[in-house]
Parts: sequence; C-alpha cells; structure tokens
Amino acid sequence: MPLDYKIAERSLANGLRVIVSEDHSVPNVTVNLWVNVGSRHEVEGRTGFAHLFEHLMFQGSRNVASGEHFSALMEAGGRLNATTWFDRTNYFETVPRGAMDLALWMEADRHGHLLDAVNQENLDNQRDVVKEEKRQRYDNVPYGNALIDVYAAVFPKDHPYHHATIGSMEDLDAASVEDVHEFFRSYYGPNNTVLTLVGDLTPDEGFASAERYFGPLPATATTPRGPVARLTALSEPVRQEHVEDVPSDRLYIAFRLPVDETTAFFASSLAMDIIGGLATSRLYQRLVRREQIANSVSAHAMGFVDGVSLGFMAIDVADGCKADAVEAATCEELARFAADGPTEIELESAMAQTERGWLSSLASQEERADHICHYATLQGDPGGINTYLDRLGEVTVAEVQEAAATWLTPRSRVVVAYLKQDGAAQ
Amino acid sequence: MTQQQGETQQQSELERPEVSPPEPWSFPEAQRSVLPNGLNVVSYDIPGQYVISVRLAVPMPLDREPRDREGIATIMARTLDEGTARHTAEEFAELLERKGIALGAGVSESGLVVDLDVSKRHLSEALDLLSQAVREPTFPANEVSRHVKTRLAEIDQERAVPGPRAAMEFIATYFDADERASRPTAGSKATVPAITPQDLVAFHAANVVPSGATLVVAGDLSDLDVVSEIEGALGAWSGAAADVVEPRQAACAVDAARIVFLDRPGSVQTELYIGCPGPDRSVEGGWAAYQVLGFVVGGSPGARLDAVLREEKGFTYGIRSGFRPRRRGGMFLTSGSVRADSTVEALGLLLDILDKARDGFTDEETQAGVDFIGKTAPGRFATADTVAEEAAGLALEGLTTAFTTANLLALADVDAASLTTSYDRYVSGEWTVVIVGDASLYAEGVRELGRGEVTVLPA
Repeated sequence: MPLDYKIAERSLANGLRVIVSEDHSVPNVTVNLWVNVGSRHEVEGRTGFAHLFEHLMFQGSRNVASGEHFSALMEAGGRLNATTWFDRTNYFETVPRGAMDLALWMEADRHGHLLDAVNQENLDNQRDVVKEEKRQRYDNVPYGNALIDVYAAVFPKDHPYHHATIGSMEDLDAASVEDVHEFFRSYYGPNNTVLTLVGDLTPDEGFASAERYFGPLPATATTPRGPVARLTALSEPVRQEHVEDVPSDRLYIAFRLPVDETTAFFASSLAMDIIGGLATSRLYQRLVRREQIANSVSAHAMGFVDGVSLGFMAIDVADGCKADAVEAATCEELARFAADGPTEIELESAMAQTERGWLSSLASQEERADHICHYATLQGDPGGINTYLDRLGEVTVAEVQEAAATWLTPRSRVVVAYLKQDGAAQ
Repeated sequence: MTQQQGETQQQSELERPEVSPPEPWSFPEAQRSVLPNGLNVVSYDIPGQYVISVRLAVPMPLDREPRDREGIATIMARTLDEGTARHTAEEFAELLERKGIALGAGVSESGLVVDLDVSKRHLSEALDLLSQAVREPTFPANEVSRHVKTRLAEIDQERAVPGPRAAMEFIATYFDADERASRPTAGSKATVPAITPQDLVAFHAANVVPSGATLVVAGDLSDLDVVSEIEGALGAWSGAAADVVEPRQAACAVDAARIVFLDRPGSVQTELYIGCPGPDRSVEGGWAAYQVLGFVVGGSPGARLDAVLREEKGFTYGIRSGFRPRRRGGMFLTSGSVRADSTVEALGLLLDILDKARDGFTDEETQAGVDFIGKTAPGRFATADTVAEEAAGLALEGLTTAFTTANLLALADVDAASLTTSYDRYVSGEWTVVIVGDASLYAEGVRELGRGEVTVLPA
C-alpha cells in the first residue's frame, strides 16, 4: 500500500519545478533545491569543480554578503548546508515558517545572481577550504582513498563516474573564475532546478512564494545532455593492491549494478544486502561469525542515473588471517548465491530492513524534502517517495537470483585491497 | 558580519523579506509511570512518526568496571543479543531482521543505553526481543571471544585515525591517571583480552537491573497501550538494585595544562585538540549560556574560530568548539584539522581567539547564538529518535526532558554580560593541547609559540 505523504507540484514559466509537501507537525519549513549537475558532468582537467562551485554559493551573491547565507539563516533559527554528489548538487535549509520567505529570497539571489559576487579572492579561499576537506576526509586517514580507487577501477576512463566528486588537487588548482562563470551559465538556472518545500505551509502558499522569488529569474541553463549509454557487468575480474600503513587488511569488492530505479537495480540492491549487508547476511554468517576470518562486512548499493550504478562491500580481515582466504570465501558465496538465489526468509529480511530505513528517513522533514527532490529531478516523479516500497516489494526471489547471476559474480568483481605494510597477513 | 540593508544596491526585483517571529513550540509532552519492578516508563506520542524509537537507559557508572577488566560494559553491550536463553546468536539476528528491527547498545560514562527502532506494526515483537536481550543474555564463549578480538582491532583502527587518536591522548593527559575517565570507555589492549563470559554474566547480573532504569518510547503511539505493552515485555524483569553512589567530578592531572605532540610522520594535516574544564548541566547561572557559547565560539562557519581559520585563512575545513557536560563537571573542547604547514600559525590563532573571548562577547553575536539554539529546537526535536535520545541521555544524568524545556526558556535570560561571566568562570587561559601531526617539521615551532611545555610522543 503506498504511503500518503502529500505531494503538490507546479512548474513556473521559467521551468522551475516546485513541489510542496504540506505537514503541520512542526512550525518549520524545509527548503530544498536540487540542481541537476554533479561530478558526472565535469570535464577532464576540472574534476572536483561541481563541489568547489557549491562552496562558492555561500560566498555571497548580488544582494547577499559573503558568509551571510549561513549567518542570516542561522540566527533566524535555520539549519542549513549543501552537498555535491555524482548525479546532483543540493542546497537546503530548515527554518521557522516565518523565515521561509527570507530563505527563498536568499536562494533565488544566489541561484540567479551568484556571479555578481564571485571573485579571485573567494575562489582562492574556498579552493583552500575544499583542499582541506579532501585532506581531512581522504588523504590523511587510512583507507581514505579506497572509494576513489574503486570508482576508477569499476568505471572506464572518461565515464561520468570514473572520478570521485572531490576531484584531484591538480584540477582544483586549475579552476579559474572564468570556469565558475561558464559552469554557472551552463548548469544553474530555474530550468535545471527543482525546489521542494516541506512543512508548515499549504501548496498555494508555497507556489506563491516560489513564484514571487524565483519567478523573475530567466531560464538560463543550457539543455542538459541525456544519460550516457548503459554499461554491462565487467567480464573479467580487476584487482588492485595497495600496501600501505593501514591498521589491518581491508578488501573492497565492487561491482557495476544496473541503473537506479529499475527492477534489476532493486533486485541487485536486495542481493547486496543479503550477501553482505544484513546481520544475517551470507558473508557475515560465514566470515565473521563462523570462520572468524573477518571482523566486519558491510555492503552498499549506490543508485546512479548515467547508465550504471555501483555496489561494493568492505571487509575487514581479522588479525592473523589472510586476505586471500577471505576473498576466496567471498567468491564462493557470490557464486553460490548467483546459482541458488535468496531464501524467502532472506528476501523478507532485506525488505523489512529496507522498509524501516526508508520510513526512518522520511520521518524528518529535511530528508523527506531531499527524497522528493531526488525523485523529481532524476526520475521525473516526486510521488516516487510514496510508491518506492511497493515497487521494491514486487521484486521476486527469481529476480534477485537473476540480478546476482548477471551483476554479482566473482568474474565481474573489482577488488581493491589495502594490505598492511609489515606483511603480517602475507 | 551581517550586511546592512540600507547599503545594499537594490538591483533585484524584490526587497529582502522580514522574518516574522516563530510560532510557539514546546518539547513533546511526556507520559510517565513506574512499573512495580522499579522501571521508569516515559512515552512521547508524536503523531506521524511511524518508526517507533525505544531507548532503555540503565545507569551504570563506568567506574563500576573492575580496573583489570575495563571495557567490560562495552563488550556486554555488544553481546546482549549474541545468544540468549531461548535463541542462538544467529537465530536472534534472524528474528530481528525479519521484522526490520534495529537493535543496538552502547555505553557512556553514565550508563548503558539499548536502542531499538522498529516500524509501529512490529513494536510488540520488538519489545519482546529487547526484553530477551536485556534479561536473558547467555554470553556464549565463542561470541565473547569474537567481540574481544573485534574490539582489539578497533583499537588499532582508532589509533590510526587522527581525530580519535587525539581524543584518546587528550583524556590521558587531561584527567588524573587514577580516574576511569582518563582511559578509553571501551577498554584497552591491557584489559579487554582478560574479559571472560563469567565476568560478563556477573557484571550483567549486578548492573542491568530494572530499578532506576528508564524505558523511553517515542513515536506515533495512537491506538497503542504503551504501558501495558512494556509491562508485558519487561514487567517480569527483576534484579537487586545496584548501590547508588553519588557521582563525583573526575580530577584533572596536576600537569594537565601542557602540550602533547603525537608524531605522525608524513601527515598532510595536523589534528588539534584543545580543552579545559567546563561545567555540567547544573551549573550556577544555567546551562543555556554554555550552549550559546559553543555556537558563538565554534559552532558555525561564521563563529569566531572559523571566521578566521576557515573563511579568512583557508587553513581548515572547519574547527568546532563546545562545552561537553559530564555527570559532574565537564570540559570545554575545541578540535579540528588544519593544513600541515599552517600548524604553528593555526594553533597560535586558535589559542589567541579562545583566550581573547574572555574579554567579552557582543550583543549581536550573543543574540545570534540565543536565536540559533532556541529557534532550531522544534526541528532538532521533530523526530521520534531525537526525542527518545534526548530523554534517555538525560535519564542517565538523573534528569528528565523538563530540563530541556526549562533550558530553552532560560535562553531568554542569556545576554552578552552573562555569556562573558559564564565563559570566564571556566576558561582561565590554561589549556591541555594535543597535536597529531608531523613533529619533525612542526614541534619546534610549537615550542617557540611559548604556550606551554611540549612533549613529543609517537602516535
């Protein structure tokens, strides 16, 4: 049975799609904007740019001073931020109802008139900040670059997902004020943006405010490209080893998966849960509980829109055990699962945990607004939040088995191995 | 830093909108009762929250752990559902997963919290499983030894990551070595391997008892009789009440005010971790001022620290400050990582900003902090899990969410003068500083800052 979160949608004349989800439980409104641009749109030599650009959106615009987006909304009781990912960039704030118009005015100012305020000084400053973000999250921690290695190994060179959103230091250094202008003109504008308002307002109030502040903006974004061609699973295993100063051996075992929001993606995502994600997963039971050759197993499916998605598992090898033995056991389980598929109980478990996770994420206005923007921007249907569980629930045991046999076999795997320098596990 | 409206060049089509005052809001109302076995039951009906959050808070001061078995409370928390009187660990995991139940447990200085999240229709089964985990764990040897090994690997992981490494060294430097608080909550390599199933059985029997514990349920409780659900699941839980010892403040080391530089060769960033004493929630003049101080000093990109270190200098992705209450007493902590070659300058700037704040705060920044803390409360406490966590955390401190409400109201009395007085009451300019970075390049420069004795140790 579908969920019944209220969804009302309207498009402005300039192409801005506005969605209002009325919910009076708290006297707040979440303002969430998705711009249909992410690191998948970056060109060679400018990796990391979509994210650097997102930082500049906080450095002032025509009528807003540098830093004022944060300060003005926070002192009005707002909690806000922005994130950049492969497929999109989002900007969001949750504010008391009485500050909604201020939030929309500020968003419209930067989404329409950012370039008035961009200069070499604030570009240089935020370039430094982003480089510290990269050092903090990737370069100065063990295994920090593992997913960057995974993306590069799973997707071909020049593919939209071959490089990580954080980009490279060299490309960040190369970014110029001119690049900022060109990027803004190409991708930013109401016709490449979705605005979602969730909370203490009616659809009419939301549409009127959206029209008031965003209506005057011209439809400036150029027409986005369509999705790139679909990829199939890898036909041969790929292996990459890093011998480094890490506390223990860790294997990242990754796969290409089908495009997001397809039955095949849902099925492969459930398969990932059953193989490595649940507390009852095949790998957890065998590697962690019974053989005790691994300390932990996790599995993740990331849905993407550009022709392919990503699935990966991270396995921490137990002290004194061999990474090769862990990998061999994992391959046995992958082959067995691809041949036999899940049991009814396994599929029931994966669905039950997905259901709770989904309901938990919709429980907050912030996350609900983000999911609505996601469905509206990338799938064309904001109501997808209400029907997701129904679509997932239709997946059968046979479909999960077929997805695993197609996408999650040992020969389609990418292994990125981080091995301890002292050779303790050799 | 707020721009004056009159100076703005009015090119846009619309005037900047005024903000109207927020609607009245209050923390969700609690329903309270006590079961005959001494278990406090607190429920919050929050319509529209279809995942129910349950938190069982069991007071259990960490210093009840035997000195040579430190970490036993954590290992116990992690093995509660790894084998019970009725089910093996694998059976139990399957019972949880089939109903989409998330069950976990962790310990803090004050006690054990068991967390349960479940969709409303499976609440009864979930409470039954929670009850089995809490009342009937059997601590099978195989599962205990596995969790001991996992904890030992976790210690290696924590040592390898600069933030946790700095935090660990900080407590070792700041607290007197005789204090439990000076050592990791989850135990060390010297103590964890000694933990046996028999130890766990005894520790569990002595500490995990209903008397004095609090079960919090939050979510959409319409058409549910929460108290009878809980009575059905936990009414038969029994156990002799543990001796209640009045909490006391952990003593600082006599040489707490110094700089420890942990050498991590090749680090491209340096982790800075700075602290001094702070209050607990019962502080004279009220806790609210300390929440505001955390925001004003280091709670946003526009706060004093990041205004300089991030937005002006570009040395960091972000530095955060805050007052951290303990059961008695507390700490004022500032931490973050900076570009390696800025280590010396960044540390000097940080300490200067923290010291200079003793000169006082402006009315504008005070009001911004008061408004942020107060006006964000409806959103911060909008979901079942955040309400349940607030209630459970306070229960371990001997408080209820009446404290949360009173504290929000007390914000109205916080002004620049009280902020300055509050800061000055704890911040004396004597700091414990832990640095994790490349000592061969930067330890000398840190010494030359003249901010205290510098000890270099391997990370």
